[in-house]
Amino acid sequence: MTRSEHLRNLLALGALGLVLALLPPALNVYLRSFALFTMMYVVLALSWNIISGFTGYTSFGHVIFYGIGAYACAILVADHGWHWLPTLLVAAGVAAAVGVALGYPVLRLKGPYFAIAMLGAAEGMRVVATVWDGLTHGGLGISLPSVENSIPTYYAMLGLMLITVLVAYAVGHSRFGIRLNAIREDEVAAEALGINATAYKLAAFALSAVFPAVAGGIQAYKVLYIDPPSVFFVQITIAMALMSMLGGKGTVIGPIVGAVLLYTAQELTWVNFPTAHLIAYGLFIVIVARFMPRGLVGFAIDRGWVRKGMVH
Amino acid sequence: MRDLRKAFGGVRAVDGCSFAVPCGKISGLIGPNGSGKTTTFDLLTGLTAPDAGQVLHRGENIAGRKPYEIFRRGITRTFQVTRIFREMTVLENMLCATGLRVPDRVARERAEALIAFVKLGSLRGEYGGRLSYGQQKLLEFARALMTDPDLILLDEPAAGVNRTLLQQLLEHIHHLQERGKTILIVEHDMNVIMNHCERIFVLDHGVKIAEGPPRDIRGDERVIDAYFGRRRR
Amino acid sequence: MERSDVRSLYRLAAFLAGAYALPFAIGGWYGAVHLNERWLGYLATVVISGVLQGGVYAMFAVGLTLIFGVMRIINAAHGEMVMMGAYLTWVCFFRLGLDPLLALVLTLPVAFLFGVALQKVVLHAVVGQPELTGLLVTFGLGLVIVYVTELVFTTDFRTIPYAPGTVHITRTIAVGQNKVISFLIAVAISAGVYLFLKLSRLGKAIRATALNAEVAMVCGIPVRRVYLVTTGLAAALAVAGGALVSIQFGFNPETGTVYTLQAFTIIILGGRGHYVGALIGGVMLAVLEGLVSLLIPNGTAMVELAAYTLMIFVLLIRPGGLMGVKEA
Repeated sequence: MTRSEHLRNLLALGALGLVLALLPPALNVYLRSFALFTMMYVVLALSWNIISGFTGYTSFGHVIFYGIGAYACAILVADHGWHWLPTLLVAAGVAAAVGVALGYPVLRLKGPYFAIAMLGAAEGMRVVATVWDGLTHGGLGISLPSVENSIPTYYAMLGLMLITVLVAYAVGHSRFGIRLNAIREDEVAAEALGINATAYKLAAFALSAVFPAVAGGIQAYKVLYIDPPSVFFVQITIAMALMSMLGGKGTVIGPIVGAVLLYTAQELTWVNFPTAHLIAYGLFIVIVARFMPRGLVGFAIDRGWVRKGMVH
Repeated sequence: MRDLRKAFGGVRAVDGCSFAVPCGKISGLIGPNGSGKTTTFDLLTGLTAPDAGQVLHRGENIAGRKPYEIFRRGITRTFQVTRIFREMTVLENMLCATGLRVPDRVARERAEALIAFVKLGSLRGEYGGRLSYGQQKLLEFARALMTDPDLILLDEPAAGVNRTLLQQLLEHIHHLQERGKTILIVEHDMNVIMNHCERIFVLDHGVKIAEGPPRDIRGDERVIDAYFGRRRR
Repeated sequence: MERSDVRSLYRLAAFLAGAYALPFAIGGWYGAVHLNERWLGYLATVVISGVLQGGVYAMFAVGLTLIFGVMRIINAAHGEMVMMGAYLTWVCFFRLGLDPLLALVLTLPVAFLFGVALQKVVLHAVVGQPELTGLLVTFGLGLVIVYVTELVFTTDFRTIPYAPGTVHITRTIAVGQNKVISFLIAVAISAGVYLFLKLSRLGKAIRATALNAEVAMVCGIPVRRVYLVTTGLAAALAVAGGALVSIQFGFNPETGTVYTLQAFTIIILGGRGHYVGALIGGVMLAVLEGLVSLLIPNGTAMVELAAYTLMIFVLLIRPGGLMGVKEA
């Protein structure tokens, strides 16, 4: 991609950002919420994609970082009276640290074992949050002081989304991203070509941990109540994975498309079919995974409509 | 290397092997199937760690180091069955090999130069998986040269490759040697070894049984014994 | 075995010893340990219950290891299938008046057919794919099962009163009759499956396919049929597990998830594809759970944590488990 193509993409992103920034006053509270959560899922899907799409290590417990971020923020705001914005930075820091600490042992595992280990880690963290009530208020959850904050959180999430898109774009179009892909394709050959797989994997993992944590924090502040089952919810990981897969794992635009489509579809079905929507969701997962594992963008690439590749 | 040993659960793949690869020359490593040639390569490049013994490079023992450390010392290799990245383009395959400290433009130029060197220019945007076998071999060869290594290990470069392509490859190899590179080739194709290598090492059952210039090896009793019964290409 | 292989086995054994000692240490510190006959009787009861329970766990874990071993698919809905078994048995008991054990005659073939249908319709396309596809597909399936069950049966907890008596082994050690019966049936079924896999032609075909599907195909093994039988068998084992669990504990649509993770832990501890390993793993997990729940304050929540911790550490120390090779 040439400089001008990059610039064009950047401008498009900027335009989108501007539109989204001007939106809130025009929307009612429900739509603002909807937009916020759509953006949140874009962040989550893009982050998941960094470790699982680019690097090929399918993390089936990525919600662990989301939950950690939510708790970090909630604890600091509710129990220590912090203002919520700086807590987001703390959440990012904690997530990065946990990412490295957890990643170092766990990234040694291969494919399915890594996935299961991450699932165990996320579920384990949920139980820890329930049991360590001195820190987390356990099963009672944490209530944050009630504030009308749908506009500030909207902007925070918008900012986070723009940053995440930029980072994902940068990773996807750089030699760093190419080397991550090499690890995914053939880790042994990649090492033989001078790629320190351990370091790269850890970097990707930590990077993919930071954004969900901040998202979790913003979400905690928006919803004003968190408890272990809601923030360490396995279905959030499933959503991240499904959105990336639906859009196209391993691309930049794929997870964005997948997140928007899937979240919108989910909201529409939930509103219109309250009881059946979960069954429909389950069926939808089965159908997408069975018939479109390469996702929409993958589909387009196979047809030659879109060029895959970071560097031409 | 000195007294290298590697056993896989009771099978002594490499059992006390020692030899010195001469600098700036093309050498060959031959031996019947199962004699430990590829294992030796794996030991040299860090894909496996030896149970005992040393690998000395510029006076330092690099045995047991990680593959990427060895790569950064200027030692690269190709594989018996090509290990190119199938879902990435030719250009991306090439760019993988350069460290992040190297600026983008420099990496690109080098990649383009090497792609031209192996005459894959028209295929730069093609996915690795779509290339023919011979083209993949060329790609892997070019990729191993991205960092201008001093020592290049080629594992059966002639396997499954037609005559013309083989000629091209050999020309490239000689070209590299003229520029001062050291090359070690594992091969089964005797013509390639005898006609292009200055020094040959022969392995059998993990031990070096002979060493010397082609004419010595050609007539060596032990070598013929080792290959006895094996169909010559 | 290679040296590093043996070393990792020792490390795993050391970890397990520590894992078993830990509840005692914690319990001792909190004063939950009493060295009198009565308390020791409790302890023995817990351990024996654990062994009995483990037999049942092992049985449905074998189903999971079959699917994973033969088709490399991680069945995230395995616990839901167990839960289905519990509900099917409940229906047989309360609506058809069948003895829960006799009901197996009805539920097992139904489960087998369900598994075959599942394979034919959904899973066959997932077989060669990366692990994510299988995980997502089975997860979606699990969701469907849970919510359909919820629609039909509501989220109320249900139980099946059966064999409520206790078996007294000594004066102080007593276990529920239903536990003993479940264990015996689980062992019988597991033994049957084990013999089938070891001795019958189809069983050998299944094991061959688990080792290397491509080679199996080339050798003329009907791989398609192997997959169908495998999934059917796994479903039947899961449902049998559910039936046996239903006569011991209460259940509702959400209890399935715990079983899935337990099954994962068991097959990882025992070793992928190792059926005797699954038995060992099942017993070890169940006994550890019993110890944790007895000795550690807030024990019931900790029980879940015990399973996860066990799983993660085994993965880190020796992914192949006790009976597999180091790297699996």
